[in-house]
Amino acid sequence: MSNSVVVCTWDQGREGLPAGAEETLTLARNLAASAGLELNWLVAGPAPDRVPEIAGKYGVVHLDRIEDSKLADFQPDVCVEALAQYCEEHAPKLVLIPQTFDARLVAPRLAARAGAGVVMNALELAVEGRTVKVTASAYGGDTRVVYELTGAESCVVGVLADMLLADAPQGGASEPAVRQVSVDLGAVEERVRVIQKAHFEGPRLEEAQVIVAGGMGLGEKKNFQLIEDLAQALGGMAAASRPVVENGWIDSSRQVGLTGKITRPVLYLGAGIAGASQHMVGCTAAKTIVAINKDPDAAIFKYARYGIVGDAMEILPEITKAVKGA
Amino acid sequence: MKIVICAKQVLDPDAVDNYVLVGKLEIGDDGKTLTQKSIPRLMNGYDEQAIECALRLRDGGVDCKIHVVSLATDPTKMLQHAVAMGADEVATIPVDTGTVDGYATASLLAGFVKSLGGADLVLCGRQASDGDQAVVPALLGEMLEMPVVTIARAVEMVDGSTVRITRVTPDGDEIVEVSCPAVITISNEFGAPRYPTGMRTMKARKVKPQQVTPDSLSLGEGGGQPRVTMTRQFVEPITGSCEFLQGDSPAAAAQNLVKRLRDERVIE
Repeated sequence: MSNSVVVCTWDQGREGLPAGAEETLTLARNLAASAGLELNWLVAGPAPDRVPEIAGKYGVVHLDRIEDSKLADFQPDVCVEALAQYCEEHAPKLVLIPQTFDARLVAPRLAARAGAGVVMNALELAVEGRTVKVTASAYGGDTRVVYELTGAESCVVGVLADMLLADAPQGGASEPAVRQVSVDLGAVEERVRVIQKAHFEGPRLEEAQVIVAGGMGLGEKKNFQLIEDLAQALGGMAAASRPVVENGWIDSSRQVGLTGKITRPVLYLGAGIAGASQHMVGCTAAKTIVAINKDPDAAIFKYARYGIVGDAMEILPEITKAVKGA
Repeated sequence: MKIVICAKQVLDPDAVDNYVLVGKLEIGDDGKTLTQKSIPRLMNGYDEQAIECALRLRDGGVDCKIHVVSLATDPTKMLQHAVAMGADEVATIPVDTGTVDGYATASLLAGFVKSLGGADLVLCGRQASDGDQAVVPALLGEMLEMPVVTIARAVEMVDGSTVRITRVTPDGDEIVEVSCPAVITISNEFGAPRYPTGMRTMKARKVKPQQVTPDSLSLGEGGGQPRVTMTRQFVEPITGSCEFLQGDSPAAAAQNLVKRLRDERVIE
């Protein structure tokens, strides 16, 4: 068992970095510093452009690279095997993986292979004495739970990077030593065959700067037009709570929440949304939250910066008018 | 075909949410257990959808035996509901879920599947709405050496041993195929589970789930001991300071808001 914490990524992400990399490196760096662990970054597959720069910025000691051609695109069995072989060779104490869609499958599978414990939905990490403690989200975001690593020497941790902030250190930059890690993927055959790839064109809710979201308080599908109108006026995207999506008022790609999209807009306006934590997990990272609800005790007002108590059906069109300068 | 569904009994997450919203969720002296007796226990919603998945396969003509298993001290009522929905066999592994982690849970469930002589499909909800960890199905796949396909909104048999699954990904639907045996997790987009008739529910009340003790199962390396332990659970206080914007009319309040957002450069 080595004394290392390894951030592990494999996707290309956007803008030159894998999704959640900086946030996860922030967590890892702080843990490495406080627990006296070596901080490494394992990048499997082709390395996005900014990896060397960011690795240096966060004080990564070893930038470990697995460059097998089978890793060019994500394939679960291949990915798990490559990471498992790395863990076999390097025996990291902690493996931190940004909790992307694919990571949710890879992380526990890797833990099983590596004889490690696994904790997902992690928001905080600490090593106290010799005990690894992970604070994770539970009950749809309603509670926090602390897990301790008690029955294994190492742990794989899925980090809820979408809900964390990246915090690059001042100074402390390093010149990471690149290590080429060779793996043997000859025997791996993907057991799940992709017949039709997911295909998404158009703006992504996760990247929207302005989101106007509607909940069941809007009453019926046709009222959702008010959300669309305001979103358009603000140059943003319309979104919804889970029950709205389940009722078919809007496509599931616009669902905000723990099992939907976790968003980080500059402005999040929620109308007719009660504010259940399942939903709020999807937007608490917004810079400014505005809530409109008939019920002055609605939970969403506890999260909001500005609130209007009233009928969304009356207020939304007025906001749209005011935005348009009418 | 043998289909096994793993069902977890959880505290009603909506009830938990309601208590949290009014700041009254009770956590016991052990610092982690939710102790409100007024919160009902029910079957994890996604697991109920997993049962529905098996039933739809059967309705579609797949000749199958449907087993539902649960790790819990007493999930009898919940398993009777599974029978009423249409499950053939139900079993309890009498273990307090507060004493096990995902790894131990998966070990016991894998042991159960092996005790049946294997399964063609193992169906699970995508996550349990109490812990949200979503690790058991993936661990099961590793222990049973089965491929795992997660977050399914539709499942159909293409032929006797090939399954076609539509997955809900952040980039839209993905369609995959996998050969049985396989583990599949079901997401809420799958659709509402059927509600059994009163007649079926009454009949199911006579069913006693088979008791399967951990000792009777072969648990693999490590004997199914937990690797992580939950030591604490708490509610993080939400410290918000909402400024309520008023007006004589909806229009006035709205204009007030827009002005504020412009002044603070939140919008143009």
